[in-house]
Parts: sequence; structure tokens; C-alpha cells
Amino acid sequence: MNAPAVPLRLALIGNPNCGKTALFNQLTGSRQKVANYAGVTVERKEGRLHSAASGRSYAVLDLPGAYSLHAASLDEAITRDLCRGFLPGEPVPDVLVCVVDATNLRLHLRFALEVRELGRPMILAVNMADVARRRGVTVDLEALERELGVPVVETVAVKRNGAKALIEEIDRLAAVRHAPAKQLPEGADLHQETRRLLSAAVSMPTRTAKVDDALDRWLLHPVFGLLALAVVMFLIFQAVYAWATPMMDAIEAATAWLGATVGGALPEGPLNSLLVEGIIAGLGGVIVFLPQILILFAFILALEESGYLPRAAFLLDRMMASAGLSGRSFIPLLSSFACAIPGIMATRSIQDPRDRLATILVAPLMTCSARLPVYALLIGAFIPQKQVWGVFNQQGLVLFGLYFAGIVSALIVSWVMKKWRRDKSEHPLLLELPSYRIPHARDLLIGLWERAWIFLRRVGGIILALTILLWFLLSFPGAPADATMPAIDYSFAGRIGHAMTAIFAPIGFNWQICIALIPGMAAREVAVSSLATVYALSAADDDAAAQALTPLISDGWSLATALSLLVWFIYAPMCISTLATIKRETNSWKKMSFATLYLFALAYGASFVTYQVAVLLGAG
Amino acid sequence: MTASLLLQYSVIAMAVLLSVWVVAKKQFPGSVRRLRVALALPLLREGKPAWMRGLGLRISPVSQTGNAACGGCDNCGPKP
Repeated sequence: MNAPAVPLRLALIGNPNCGKTALFNQLTGSRQKVANYAGVTVERKEGRLHSAASGRSYAVLDLPGAYSLHAASLDEAITRDLCRGFLPGEPVPDVLVCVVDATNLRLHLRFALEVRELGRPMILAVNMADVARRRGVTVDLEALERELGVPVVETVAVKRNGAKALIEEIDRLAAVRHAPAKQLPEGADLHQETRRLLSAAVSMPTRTAKVDDALDRWLLHPVFGLLALAVVMFLIFQAVYAWATPMMDAIEAATAWLGATVGGALPEGPLNSLLVEGIIAGLGGVIVFLPQILILFAFILALEESGYLPRAAFLLDRMMASAGLSGRSFIPLLSSFACAIPGIMATRSIQDPRDRLATILVAPLMTCSARLPVYALLIGAFIPQKQVWGVFNQQGLVLFGLYFAGIVSALIVSWVMKKWRRDKSEHPLLLELPSYRIPHARDLLIGLWERAWIFLRRVGGIILALTILLWFLLSFPGAPADATMPAIDYSFAGRIGHAMTAIFAPIGFNWQICIALIPGMAAREVAVSSLATVYALSAADDDAAAQALTPLISDGWSLATALSLLVWFIYAPMCISTLATIKRETNSWKKMSFATLYLFALAYGASFVTYQVAVLLGAG
Repeated sequence: MTASLLLQYSVIAMAVLLSVWVVAKKQFPGSVRRLRVALALPLLREGKPAWMRGLGLRISPVSQTGNAACGGCDNCGPKP
């Protein structure tokens, strides 16, 4: 029997934000995350390309962007090691596809020259050729090919068939693999050679786009820029509340209808209880927040695509530096608004180990999307929906305040860490500002679809599993014959919850909240589904069980308890997966334990103060 | 206990066991992997009947390739 042919390995390599991942998606049909800023890809990704013309298959590697093969950060080291064959278990790529941004050849060609020196078969893909043409940049591909001594093709990674020429060239090079025809002489200067290539093959009217310059005059202004950033963030949270309500009402009504239908169709018994009070009440309580999550992500995706985010990093650099972070921490911290795990992984692009650790330790304080359902539930229950100053939605203002509290807390924590460490020096920020781009509606829709799919997968996976387990623990064992309390108080979970109140009563948590905290460690949203299940099972009759969670907690909890729980969720350690990621990225149990302990201490302390002050003010 | 109630409890038991498995696999993948290896190894020893070896193969985890970096968060986007 013949062994299957090993496919040729292609590696996409290039400066950050030149469109490698977009090209990877185009070649392999993948949907890896792309955005208009440097440092989105921090680890190698692999996909398959099948060329219809030649019938060949290729393994395509998407590597983190690098400015040089002399790595200055962890993600650059991955690229360097893989290209040189130093990564264990990773053979050297057969063909290097060096991707360069046609609008920024002054920077990108320098790295292409460095890659050429590796002596591997190589293709130069001049990407974003359409944008370059619009800006008046012309690239003489033949001249560039002649001067570089490697095949040069034009690509538009974001357009259908935008990589056709590249695939044809890959097929040609795969048939007859050859090293670059030219090499730099010993001691040659890369910058000088880049300038020579530019004068031989490239004509560009201006170094930057006029529209970028015009926008940057305002958006990078020390006063107007910060004002614009504050307005953008503020509007996002207003929209989350103003636009989501009709969809949320529809989902709530659908959940109630489903519960009533299933409850009516099945005979009374444990299975009916599992489905109606456990699964439908629990999952319905979480799914209802999907519209708010999607609206928040629509804005985040649009900002990512637009190229505005690195500008925001630049604006906030001074403030972040005084708090012990750097502007480079901005993107990882922003990623943490989606989930702390990619945020912590994105810290690989931070070169300074001290800044990287500080960013990892404060990333869990950013409000991840899993916390949004908890915030939305409590705000919906306790904050009246009314206009403030005739313009602002009060609930949106409170949500903005919670996100803001997370950001301010992260800055304070990193400032305290800065006071403790010996090296108090600050590192200058070197950040590439990409061109502004109008977000593509298609990309936004795909991004939103993926976000919705991730959320629904969590609902159908870990959240469903935990809801079933919680229902089991809340339903068994049943009440004894001489029971004097509700049956749920005799259950496993009821007993655990009552035992936990010894610790959590000083911060105002009842036993139902205590129970919800445990599965919430696996996934934050489960705290909401758990509360929904606990209250559905505690209900005296079916009508009470069918009620939505919001009125149940607004009637049953004091304002002090609600505020204390909101504050708890700002600080409490993230899910177990986040802690595991901290352990993996820092390679230290000690640092992970420190993160867990300080977050718990902060959460408990802040909730204690909030609850006690609220009670003193009469909100208890 | 009626047949209907027995059936209901059987379904619930299956759902609970499956949930335990999902949570363990998602939250403690390393421990689950070690457990699978420990369970599979005795069944795969030479001299064991074919059905036992087949069962051992089914229990044993697939070999780890690549270095997937995501934990249990499902948030790192779809795999290529």
C-alpha cells in the first residue's frame, strides 16, 4: 500500500497587519479572526489549500506577524523559530509566502529581504493591491520580481478570487522548487536595499493617505481625541439597551411559550421538572441576553475593522503608563471585553515581560461578554428604565458605569503593582497606526454570526450540562416525610447553599446566590441560568415558576444585595479556563494563585463595603 | 415505582452522567485525559480478549497534535 503523499507546507509570513490571516482565510476557506490592527494572530494556525488547477493539496500555516526575524516578543519568536525549523515537531516550511502591504512597502519590503536571506523557496504576495491603486501607488511587479529574485504576485485577500495569481504561482513553485535567485552581499544594509527596490519598482505620491491625516488631526488630538473616544464608548452602551429590548421581549415570550407547551404536554414528574424548571427556565434566562451581546460586538467588530483601536491605544498610552501599563496593553485588554482568554493570549505581543505580566494579571478585570447577562439581569431588575436629562437611558448609564469601574479598577491594580516592583522605568510605545478602513458589512455579519454561534454553543454545551447538574443537585434528595421547610432546602445544593451563607451573608448574598456562584466559575452566564433554575424550583406553584427571573429577584432581593452582587462580578476571578490560561501563559502556579487570591479578596472586600454602606443608607 | 417513572429516572440519570462528562472534559481536560489513559492501558495489554482491546482503543484519548491554545471558553473562533 502506498503511503499518503505528505502535502507541501506553505507558511504565510510578513509584518503585522499586512493581511496574512485574511489571505489564509481566502486560501483555506477558514474564518480565523481578522482585524485592522497589529497583533491579532499570536500563534500559528494551520489549514488546507486544494488547488483545483493542479490537483495538489497544501498545508498552509498562518504565522504571527513579525517586524524582524530578530524576535523582540513571544509571537515574533514563534515565527522566527518555525521558519528556521527550530520549533519541536514542526518541519521547516517548503515554501514561504511573504505577504507585504502594497500601501506600506517602505516598511514591509525590509522584512521581505530578511526572509529572502533564509534561502528557502519564496513568493512575495503584494497584498491590498486595490487600496494601493486607489491611493495612487503603482507597483511594477516585473521590476520588483527582477530586483528581488523571487516570484512576485498581486493579491487582494478580502475579495473573492483575490488570491488566484498566488495559487497559480504556488503551483509553479511546488513543481520546481528553487531558492531565491538573489541574496544580499555580506554586510549589506537592509534599509539601503529597501530604498533601492522602492526607487526601481514603486511609485507612491504620498507616504500616508490624505483622509488618514485629516482624521488623525482630530482623533489623535490630546483633548478632542479623548473626548471622541469617551463619546464612542458611551454611545455603545446606550445602544446596547436602547436597541435590544424588542428582541429580548420576543425571546422571553418564546421561552415562556415553550415552557408552557412542554409542561402541558408531559405528565407531572421529574422529567417535566427537569425540562421546564431546569433546562427551559435556565437556558431561556441566558439566551435572552443574546441581542445585547450581539449589539456590543457589532460595535467592537466595526471599531476593529476601522483601524481606530490602535489610535485609542495611542491616546491612552500616557494614562496607562502612569498606571504601570503601556499602550501595547490596550489591545489585549480590549480583547478581554470579549473573553479574557484571547486577551491573555494576546499579551504575547507585549515585548517587556514586566508589562506582559501586569497586563495578564489585570485582564480578568475587564468585563467579558459572559458577565453581560449578569449585569443586564440585575440592572433590569433594580434600575428603573427612564431617560436621564431627556437623552440618556438610565440603564445604559449604569452599564457604562460598570464597564468603566472594571477599567478604572484595572488601572488602580496595575498602579499598585507598579509601586511594589523594583524596576519602575517606563517603556516607550512603538505602535503602527494602520490606514482607516470602512468596515465591510459582510465581514461584520460573519463576525456577528460567529459570535452568536459561540454563544449558542456555550448555551448548548457547558451551560446546558451545568444546568442539568444543578437541577439534579437542587432536586435530590427529596424532602423527608416530616419536612417543615420547602423541599429544595433539603436538597444537596440547598444544603451547600445554606452552608455557604456563613461566609457570604456579610456581603448580603442569600443561599440562592451562593449556589449560583459555584457553576458560575465554569461559565459566568451560568450564574443567571442557575438563579433561574433555583427560583423556578423554589416556586410555590406553576404560575410562580413560569415567571421571568427579573421580577422574582426584584421582589425578593434588597437593593443592597443587588449592588453587592454587581460589585462582586466586577472583581471576582474569571472562569476556571481563564485561570488555566494564566497558568499556561505565565508557566507559574504561583502567579496563577496570586491572581485568584487577589481577585477574590478584591471582590469580597468591595462587595462587603458596598453592601454595608448600602444598608446604612437604608437600601437593605 | 411505575414504568413511566422508571423511564423518567433513567432518562434523567443518562442526562446527568452525560453532563458530568461534558463538564469534566471541558473544565479538566488534562485530568480526563489521564483518567482515560489509566482506564485504557490495562485493557490494551497483550493477552486480553479482542473485545477488551477494542474497548481500550475506544477509551484511549487521541494523540495530541499541534498546540491548541484555547481553554474551555470556546471563544477563539472556529478551527480551520
